[in-house]
Amino acid sequence: MIQASWSFDRMQTLGFAYAMLPALRRLYPNGDELTSRINLHLEYFNTQPYLASFILGAAVRLEEGRASGRNRDADVRGMKAALMAALGALGDSFFWGALKPFAVAAAVAVFLAGLWWAPLVFLVIYNIWHVGLRVWLLFLGYESGGDAVSLVAAFNFTKLARNLKIMSLSLLGGILGMLPLWRAEFRLPVPVAGPFAIAVGGLAATLGMVLLLRAGGTPAKLMFGLAVVCVVLAFLGAV
Amino acid sequence: MAIFDTKTLTDIILVALAGGIIGLDRTAAGQFMFSQPIVAGPLTGWMLGDATTGLIIGIVLELIWVMDIPVGTFVPADSTILAVWATAVAVLGSAGREPLPVIGFSLLLTVALIPATMRADGFIRKWNSRLAAAAEPTPGEHAGRRLSRAHLSGIAVFFLKSFVLYLVLLPLGLIAAHLFSGLPMRFQGSMSLFVKLLPLLGIASVVRRLSIKTADGFLLIGFVTAATIGLALRAGFLLVMLVAATATWVGVKYREGRS
Repeated sequence: MIQASWSFDRMQTLGFAYAMLPALRRLYPNGDELTSRINLHLEYFNTQPYLASFILGAAVRLEEGRASGRNRDADVRGMKAALMAALGALGDSFFWGALKPFAVAAAVAVFLAGLWWAPLVFLVIYNIWHVGLRVWLLFLGYESGGDAVSLVAAFNFTKLARNLKIMSLSLLGGILGMLPLWRAEFRLPVPVAGPFAIAVGGLAATLGMVLLLRAGGTPAKLMFGLAVVCVVLAFLGAV
Repeated sequence: MAIFDTKTLTDIILVALAGGIIGLDRTAAGQFMFSQPIVAGPLTGWMLGDATTGLIIGIVLELIWVMDIPVGTFVPADSTILAVWATAVAVLGSAGREPLPVIGFSLLLTVALIPATMRADGFIRKWNSRLAAAAEPTPGEHAGRRLSRAHLSGIAVFFLKSFVLYLVLLPLGLIAAHLFSGLPMRFQGSMSLFVKLLPLLGIASVVRRLSIKTADGFLLIGFVTAATIGLALRAGFLLVMLVAATATWVGVKYREGRS
């Protein structure tokens, strides 16, 4: 729930402080010190929401050291500031930019094959990684005290993201290659063309739309344009 | 036939409630992806008695909007509201007729909804700025209580945003679907074709973000593999996908080994 009160200026600040509350209450029974530590955690914070668990684990570890007197100078503020931007970029590119499209590509393949359980495929592929990493990173952050090197050494986000993107592209290519065999609702009404011609036509249309998107088109504009084309085709009697 | 009978009004309220709860997963709580169109669409459809319509809408919207990523302060289109709304309009608005044209029409209408959802999200995120001031501990008060109250009230704010949007936009959508049903048959046919072509646009949106090349090599490898094994040898759909994915994985590992 780190983003329950997400705002433009403070982003996940309240969420992070809220997540720290149980640990802070245990570590600082004294009301004034607790208030001061809550205030410290109410400073600006924003990162990728799943990777926040690494910083959370590390912050608890540093607060523990500070409260017990083992490490009175623990720089929780510095650790948070140093990690949040880097982990934000890493997490965004892995979870949103690679894992999610891969899970979607796999689920779409299942759906177009005519099977209803595509949403389950999506949820399982995504959440095995998501939940697993979220829990593991909390403990890794705690054990390492926020040592980013240990994180990068234990899990190569960049390499895995690149491989997942490649797999997604290959799956999407495969889906286009099977265009004539898509489930009935999406089968194109082109009776005279053979299956290979339909598949190649689908690939060409897709690549044409990629070009339009690269030229500054947006999905919304292209949706509208596609609808206009469909209406024109229908009135020309092509449908 | 009346557009808004008691059952339809009840369904609108139910969809608004369920949509509001599902929408929390998008930003405020969990992010287990239940709010993604591919899940939210079929869930809404199942609730209204037609999961297949929800699945079709969810798959299409998921492909189109999956790469619209919330990075930094950028607020992407709320694909959860689009999926739940379009499914509800398509199921309640088709009323026993052939569903595909209404599905296409409701998907087209989501284009008009995008700015509204983005503005509403922007407004809520500005509103939440007030919560920060309300969260700061004051002397003499049980430390952390104000923070908990302020933070958790954000959940109610996010819920209310979606709930109100559904209550306002769903009746408008149903009126539009009713008017659509009176249009000539050619319009209905054009919307069926629209649904069939939208996955191509969705795939294009994903490819555009995943690769810097228009005709990416891995996309073409997957295409050729599937066309060869699937169309020429008539292998099963999922088997073809598995072969394409495995071949790519082996290729990636080989390349890694060489470098």
